Amino acid sequence: MNFEHILEHHLVDKIILGPFFVFHGMWYGEDPIGLTRNMIMMTIVAAVLTAIMIYAAHGKSRAALMLRTGLEAVIIYIRDVIVHPIFHEHTDHYLPYFLTLFMFIFVSNLLGLVPFSTTVTGNIAVTGALAICTFGLIQFAGVREQGLFSYVKHLAPSGMPGWVLVIMYPIEILGMGVKCVALTIRLFANMIAGHIVSLAFLSLIFIFAEMVKWLGLVVSPAAVGLALFVYLLDVLVSVLQAYIFTMLTALFVGAAVHPH
Amino acid sequence: MGKLVEPDMGLIIWTIVTFLCLVFILAKVAWKPLISAIEEREHKMKADLDGARAARDEAERIRKQLEADVAGLQAKSREMLAQATKDSEVLRAKLQASAEADAKKIKDKTMAELEDEKERLKRDLRKEVAGLSVMVAEKLLHKTVDDGVQKSVLDSFFKELDNKGSN
Repeated sequence: MNFEHILEHHLVDKIILGPFFVFHGMWYGEDPIGLTRNMIMMTIVAAVLTAIMIYAAHGKSRAALMLRTGLEAVIIYIRDVIVHPIFHEHTDHYLPYFLTLFMFIFVSNLLGLVPFSTTVTGNIAVTGALAICTFGLIQFAGVREQGLFSYVKHLAPSGMPGWVLVIMYPIEILGMGVKCVALTIRLFANMIAGHIVSLAFLSLIFIFAEMVKWLGLVVSPAAVGLALFVYLLDVLVSVLQAYIFTMLTALFVGAAVHPH
Repeated sequence: MGKLVEPDMGLIIWTIVTFLCLVFILAKVAWKPLISAIEEREHKMKADLDGARAARDEAERIRKQLEADVAGLQAKSREMLAQATKDSEVLRAKLQASAEADAKKIKDKTMAELEDEKERLKRDLRKEVAGLSVMVAEKLLHKTVDDGVQKSVLDSFFKELDNKGSN
């Protein structure tokens, strides 16, 4: 058993129910489709998030009031700092998407730190799907705010000779895709990195124990301490990455809404 | 290791569906009441602020107006005072002038009367002196002179006297 096996065992999604059928992927081989650990975890995340939000929005107790006060700070921050500079008077229309995006990633990240759970945002399919949603939002907002013709016209910078446009259009469209791929990989890599590093630290114990028995015992406090440090760091990264994903989504959408 | 970066199509679709459902559900049940509560509060704060600002402006306006009124009143009272002072000055001058005129008139009249009196006394004195002179002459001469001679003598005497006096 090497480190790669450990990583795959802990971090790769596992089908629990199924597979019901096999999807023949375009870029890589067969993709069996079934109910996986991450799907269940995501459903739990969605349920927990919905419950917390309903409690915060409609609860009458002191705890609900405190939760609401905290949430309002988050809402006002996202509205005034992230969404309003881009959408101005259409802020109210787009605000729920960004709030949900932030809270979904944030809660996913945090619940992923709970023992025996999985970090759904540490799966490239999940972050990819969120990036696809961002991509869709870019197109939707661009067309909605500018009109289809103007949006397509402003994909490339104006005031260029025709032959440059022939080059620019593919580049701009590719750029939009690359932005979303960057979003995918940024969130995925950040969330998986903590787990990989934690596993690496913990594996140190066994690597040293393999060499000399008592050395493993000596190394273990340091390894556990470092793993704990990385775990705490992950709490910070959870907030940070949720914020970064939301902010970059807003930035990319803003670029499509305001072409200049 | 390759499996880590192979996206699972099922999970992609599951995520998109879950996430979009979450967007719509949360927008309905959570974000809408939360955002409307925030906006309501912000509107109220803005209204309160506007009200306070309007009240302050109104107070400022009233203060300015009062100040202007007070300044106007002060100017007016000053003007009135100046007018009164001038009037009194004029009146005083007039009174003084009339008083001086009166005094002069009285003095003139008195002088005229005194002159008259002097003339009268002079005349009386002459008469008296004439009588006395006649009496003295009579006594000196021991003879009576008739009234006609007496008068002519006296007249020539007074003429001489007058001439002497005028010389």
